[in-house]
Amino acid sequence: MTSKPTFATKDVASVFARQTLLDRDLVRQPDRPVVRLLPWLNVVTLGGRSIIDRGVETIRPVVDELRAAMPEHRMLILTGPGIRARHVLGVGLDLGLPTGVLASLMATEAEQNGHLIAALLAEEGVSYLAHGTVALQLAIHLSASRAAVSNGFPPYGIYEFPPAVGKIPPHRTDAGAFLLADAYGAARTIYVKDVDGVYTGDPATGNGEQPKLLPRVGAAELLAMDIETLPIDRIVLDLMATAKHVKEIQVVNGRKPGNITKALAGEHVGTIIHTTG
Amino acid sequence: MDDADTNGALHSMLMDRSLSDPELLDASGTAPDYAILPDVSVLKIGGQSLIDRGRAAVYPIVEELAEIKRSHPILIGTGAGTRARHAYALAMELGLPTGVLTDVGAAVSGQNASMLGHLMARYGVPVVTGGAFNALALYIAECGAAIFAGMPPYDMWQHVPAEGVIPPYRTDAGCFLVAEVYGARQMIYVKDEDGLYTANPKTDMSATMIPEITVDELIDLDLPDLVLERPVLELMRNARHVKSVQVINGLRPGLISRALRGEHVGTIIRAT
Repeated sequence: MTSKPTFATKDVASVFARQTLLDRDLVRQPDRPVVRLLPWLNVVTLGGRSIIDRGVETIRPVVDELRAAMPEHRMLILTGPGIRARHVLGVGLDLGLPTGVLASLMATEAEQNGHLIAALLAEEGVSYLAHGTVALQLAIHLSASRAAVSNGFPPYGIYEFPPAVGKIPPHRTDAGAFLLADAYGAARTIYVKDVDGVYTGDPATGNGEQPKLLPRVGAAELLAMDIETLPIDRIVLDLMATAKHVKEIQVVNGRKPGNITKALAGEHVGTIIHTTG
Repeated sequence: MDDADTNGALHSMLMDRSLSDPELLDASGTAPDYAILPDVSVLKIGGQSLIDRGRAAVYPIVEELAEIKRSHPILIGTGAGTRARHAYALAMELGLPTGVLTDVGAAVSGQNASMLGHLMARYGVPVVTGGAFNALALYIAECGAAIFAGMPPYDMWQHVPAEGVIPPYRTDAGCFLVAEVYGARQMIYVKDEDGLYTANPKTDMSATMIPEITVDELIDLDLPDLVLERPVLELMRNARHVKSVQVINGLRPGLISRALRGEHVGTIIRAT
């Protein structure tokens, strides 16, 4: 600091002292590279509707694959909520409850799915971790057991943003997983779904032209394409624009054996969405 | 369509469609908005602007709050302030990510909530955190007020800013979202300036006060510095309950009470 700080009030001296933290130039000035806290981390997100709701026939092989990957990869496995969240969302909306309350209700279902997946891997030393543990003790858990399970929903709860349209909470599993992966500087961010990746249209409805699989697409480009149904929440594409570390994510079909293993090894087996230009 | 039809359509869309489906989003917007605590007002007591000033600023505010809570139920959120700025600067220098800064910033607003809680204990006012929010209605009914730390609990899940690593959603946003989720009567930011100025009045003598403005007008002005966290403006736009906020000067005695009674004593920012 060039000039002596003046303690007009009872300040702690720092480059930000007396600032609003909102002056663009002042906040910009000391920008520095951000450290990757856990550069070896793999964040693997299991879709609620797409994987877990499908039951044992889909879950069992996915869990087996994750178990087999543990000696080689350290993973944080995050779960989505699925159909029960849709139900509680319907009840909550009907009751007139606000978005923040709906977010808490939906997050409970994602957590329950996490408990189920963690139970299946318990024998390997895998535990379910609550949000607070993920934020502060993930390193020790992944050093002790190489994999852990948590809730894909972020801990926004009653602090969820009111969305631009309607009342459905905007930060769900996909957004929660992305924000967390970026904060930790994860090596890979993999979304396990029930489709081969991102298509130019909905492969399920497929009205008119046959939708094509996009093997690799830019986040901004994908947003601009304005595709009606995406296998990943649109908000992730927005979040990718400011991310510090996670410059690409891969959406893979977990119903095809071997895909998760390959994606963890860095192979391209689904759609890679990137911001690498 | 009557109510039952709308519900049936919404229900089946919720079961079948993507949660990003535009029709589903529209339909979700037709749901009613039940205000959970419609009589409660949320106040945010600034960290840097007020609490860091010590008793000269804080004691009179405590007395005013103790008096006004008898007639106006209030939820009091606290800002962070100068220690958060120190921690942000240090963490930034170390190359730590926004999520870690959010965590350390939250602790500072927690300390401020704790201090204010001790000062207001004799008036029966509790500090609420985490799960205690479930008992908020009881606290408010019993003593007319409760105190909470203003920082939202986003932690490692905080949005990353376009530049730098300072958490974009801090205590202004946290308090606003509390007001919105409870469907509060009003949201009042208690700071150390008479309201919103065209520039930072502490550093720019030419700054003039703006008594009333809409979010769109404020965004158009593109002020280089602002009395309120910028993301609050976007949250206001999308809010379903809290359509305006008032920024007032807590160093002037009586303004908190007057604002709670609905008077215009600072800057009113309106969603539209």
